[in-house]
Amino acid sequence: MKPHTPTLMPTLIELQHAIRQSLQGGVDEAASAFVISEGLDAGERLGIYRNTSAGVLVTALQLAFPAVQHVVGPEFFEGAARLFMAEAPPRSAWLDAYGADFPQFLAQLAQAASVPYLPDLARLEWKVNLVLHAADAEPLEIARLATLGEAELEDLRFEPHPAAQLLRCGFPADAIWHAVLERNEGAMAAIDLADGPVWLLVQRTRGDVRAVRLSEPEWRVAAALFSGQSLGAALAAASCGEPHAVLAAHLARGCFANFSWAHETLAL
Amino acid sequence: MNVSGVMPQAAPGRIPAKAGVGLRFRHHQSVAQARPDVAWFEVHTENYMGGGTVPRYLDTIRRDYPISLHGVGLSLGSADGLDAAHLERVRNVINRVEPGLVSEHLSWSVSGGTYLADLLPLPLTEEALAIVCRHVDQVQAHLKRRILIENPSTYLRFRHSTIPEWEFLAHVAQRTGCGILCDVNNIYVSASNHGWDARTYLAALPPAAIGEIHLAGHSVRELGQGRTLRIDDHGSRVAPPVWALYREALERFGPVPTLIEWDTNVPALDVLMEEAAIAEAILEEHANEAAYANVDANAD
Repeated sequence: MKPHTPTLMPTLIELQHAIRQSLQGGVDEAASAFVISEGLDAGERLGIYRNTSAGVLVTALQLAFPAVQHVVGPEFFEGAARLFMAEAPPRSAWLDAYGADFPQFLAQLAQAASVPYLPDLARLEWKVNLVLHAADAEPLEIARLATLGEAELEDLRFEPHPAAQLLRCGFPADAIWHAVLERNEGAMAAIDLADGPVWLLVQRTRGDVRAVRLSEPEWRVAAALFSGQSLGAALAAASCGEPHAVLAAHLARGCFANFSWAHETLAL
Repeated sequence: MNVSGVMPQAAPGRIPAKAGVGLRFRHHQSVAQARPDVAWFEVHTENYMGGGTVPRYLDTIRRDYPISLHGVGLSLGSADGLDAAHLERVRNVINRVEPGLVSEHLSWSVSGGTYLADLLPLPLTEEALAIVCRHVDQVQAHLKRRILIENPSTYLRFRHSTIPEWEFLAHVAQRTGCGILCDVNNIYVSASNHGWDARTYLAALPPAAIGEIHLAGHSVRELGQGRTLRIDDHGSRVAPPVWALYREALERFGPVPTLIEWDTNVPALDVLMEEAAIAEAILEEHANEAAYANVDANAD
């Protein structure tokens, strides 16, 4: 007589935990016990799902970091992506938002240390990805500020446009990014890696994503305003000669979507 | 909660009982500009959750075509509960696109706050049935509309499952008032992989609940000793036995909006339109037969 095998009765939460262990960590033991092996081993059946899952996530990272992939090559990229996925899997099904921590992961990856600019290139590509998928919003019209008095302007806080991001890179990541995506080897060879740091505004305007190089003082005014400092404080701290002209240029670029007043924020 | 009585079956841009095509990024521009002769399009909800160019193409395309939203991320079978933020993102896409149909899967993909990026099979138990039904109720209440649930293609079964998948799906529809998205290729793939009878599967589904049919290609993996595993990769033309099963589905369900899906190595739009034309011819054949049957009935 065949020995009776007791049927395992995991709760749904236990079963899903076991399958997550299998898909993420490759530890099949717990999950395999719940799966019928007839015709094909349970581990191989789980492997089909593991491959699909990993493939989807590698593709998501490839889409967000095309220049990084080109620099390191597809095989190295996939290897790094798989290590990253195990360490920092996505928290939601909106995969356009997956990969924020990949630049930091690359910065700590010993095998990537021979390409010193790689983390900066990845940071830039992540900002590009954020801006590409950011919510639509009308830029703030300068005319709306015209009627405000001096005291009101002093206290004003700008809301950054969702499709505008600031980034400081030690290496000229913008030039590398362009050269790599355009497959322009001449431009790549002409880049002086010492030509940094660069102070970038990454922005989507009319569907196009651009990385605009700012001067350090211009960038710092924008960064102060993006971080929620009042206009008065940001301009007072500015190290450039014409802070109002810098502000006007940022407004004209469409860096902001709206404004509010400090006391309103406090009242909340 | 049964919502089918109080909620509209479809929003503006109703999906007709014709053959539509899954719209992928590479065809955005040509569809928006050339307006090909396609009855309707379906897109993946998760691809349109941000702003910028991608949803703007859909804004243009939806002016000329009914749109169906097909989600992969709600994870209706997660024991952890629904991701409220993701449900809200789905609602925002619905508000922007005003789709004729909204669908999701009988599967799960989130555990412990991690998205596992695949449509994973459920154990077919009373516990899982109760959880799926609760989540479908919550989704329909939040979205204020009926959704369709698609039968999965699966490569494994659990020892402790007690309910046949076709009964499980019929129960979900009956208890929640949701509709069923009958993926004929998935039925064929799962039946082949698990030794089920595809006709038994079709016969168990309530015809009134069927809101849409999916058709796609699959691949075959040789396991040795003459055994095979069919993989639902949406990377080729619809297989002949799946067309045959589609005819049987229409005989049972009547004319239903039918979608051609292709996600791996997406071909030129012409190829998708050829596949849609085959489905359309079968739909028309069926509609004619139904009309003759009516004439006969009236003559009595």
